[in-house]
Amino acid sequence: MITLTGTATSMTEPTAGATLSRLMTWLSPSFPVGAFTYSHGLEWVVEEGTVTSAATLTAWLSDILRHGAGRSDAILLVSGFRAAAEGRANDLQEVAELAYALQPSKERRLESGAQGRAFATAIADTWGAPSLADLAGRLAPDPVAYPVAVAVAAADHRLSLVETVEAYLTAFAANLVSAAVRAVPLGQTEGQRTIRDLAPIVSAVAAEALIASLDDIGGASLRADIASMAHETQYTRLFRS
Amino acid sequence: MSTAVSLQTGMPRLERAEGAARVAFALRRIGGREETRLADLFQDGSANVRLPKVHDGSGPAAVFLNSAGGVTGGDHLTFEAHFKAGSTATVTTQAAERIYRRSEGVGRIDNRLIVEAGAKAHWLPQETIVFDGAGLRRRLDVDLLGDARLVAVESIVLGRTAMGEEVTAVDLADHWRVRRDGRLVYADALRLSGDSRAILSGGATGRGARAFASILVVASDAASQLDPARELIATLAADGIEAGASTFDGLLSIRCLALDGRRLRVIVEPLIETLTGRPLPRAWSI
Repeated sequence: MITLTGTATSMTEPTAGATLSRLMTWLSPSFPVGAFTYSHGLEWVVEEGTVTSAATLTAWLSDILRHGAGRSDAILLVSGFRAAAEGRANDLQEVAELAYALQPSKERRLESGAQGRAFATAIADTWGAPSLADLAGRLAPDPVAYPVAVAVAAADHRLSLVETVEAYLTAFAANLVSAAVRAVPLGQTEGQRTIRDLAPIVSAVAAEALIASLDDIGGASLRADIASMAHETQYTRLFRS
Repeated sequence: MSTAVSLQTGMPRLERAEGAARVAFALRRIGGREETRLADLFQDGSANVRLPKVHDGSGPAAVFLNSAGGVTGGDHLTFEAHFKAGSTATVTTQAAERIYRRSEGVGRIDNRLIVEAGAKAHWLPQETIVFDGAGLRRRLDVDLLGDARLVAVESIVLGRTAMGEEVTAVDLADHWRVRRDGRLVYADALRLSGDSRAILSGGATGRGARAFASILVVASDAASQLDPARELIATLAADGIEAGASTFDGLLSIRCLALDGRRLRVIVEPLIETLTGRPLPRAWSI
């Protein structure tokens, strides 16, 4: 078995509360990954008429969480975390390669790869995460896909996996609601109510991911994939994806 | 021949679909010219191969078929095609594969392509029709070497859409893994578990679509096919037909959605002809 350099045991044992404060920092809208520049194709479905209100946004995001990138990213995150925590470097590389290869369009590859690369860089410049640096080196010039980058940093810092996956999905949903507030547009309160309405779905998807394996990955967000492709040619664009 | 009847359900029991079929194509020197010829053929069980004569200059074709007439829970079929260096060939299916309601278990179909340097592979199976209550695990594993080229399509139709059948209980997982020189470059994972009509009713999933297809082109000049594909899509997209195309990392990825199988063909057929530069395999029009 190949062990990772700088495994978790060489990291400072985190104090109680480290999970909460680290996740809040790393998944904050102000963490320098440029999350606010990506809309996951939402900008196109707003233009095209599928999302025009808080209600239609909630329906769309609910499907993205349950049948699209939400669930798939969560499974990749969980698999990546466990591979990193258990020192399984080859398995971890496979998870990371699958995470990137699953992106079906130019802008989804950008959204996943650019955020992952920025996350790895920001972590390397601040908190440090040896397994993540090692993984980034192995995959270069390809980036570490974003959910896997978050997973490996979390594993290196011995954060709670349960809270990491829930926080990841919460941030994912909140970022897209923020994009919709700008794009539809929606009021701030409408946006927050959408986040509130999606919270049980976020929890359910997180719970499912914790007991899933990589074989369970997959979804049916076909129209969202097409939206991502169509967004490339959208006339007026605020977002990179 | 009498039809076997299940002791449990009293319903006619399908012949077990169990078997493996394999073809290989290689470049041969024939009378001073290099031409692709069949280099290997293997068939076992209900997985069979036909080799129709092809005269449109696109190289030989192999037609895979499942002589059991369908797939149900517990069945397992394997199809493999090997395109040796420099060869050009097309692989298709005789008819739509039918995945029937199962009493237990899931059907498994494993498809495998090996495409060597300089070879050009067209993987063009016809639709897979998934019936209510069906269970299927399908894989398409592709290994490309060097500058190998690929045009691949997989289409799924839920229920016999012309007859208004709805699929409200299904357990379907359809995965692609495409590697170039050992490195994973593309993956796809379709998963429909439960009420597929409900799942595909939303705006992020299918908006009521009951038929969908993915097309992948792997080639050094894949990006040059983007504009022709988008122009076709712009022309053919209509009520009940949607599609998108994107190019990245030496790939062209296309997704098509349609209300029914007939409308899916309206967009898939011209796209395949444009991307392969050839007419569709004859089996598609029989």
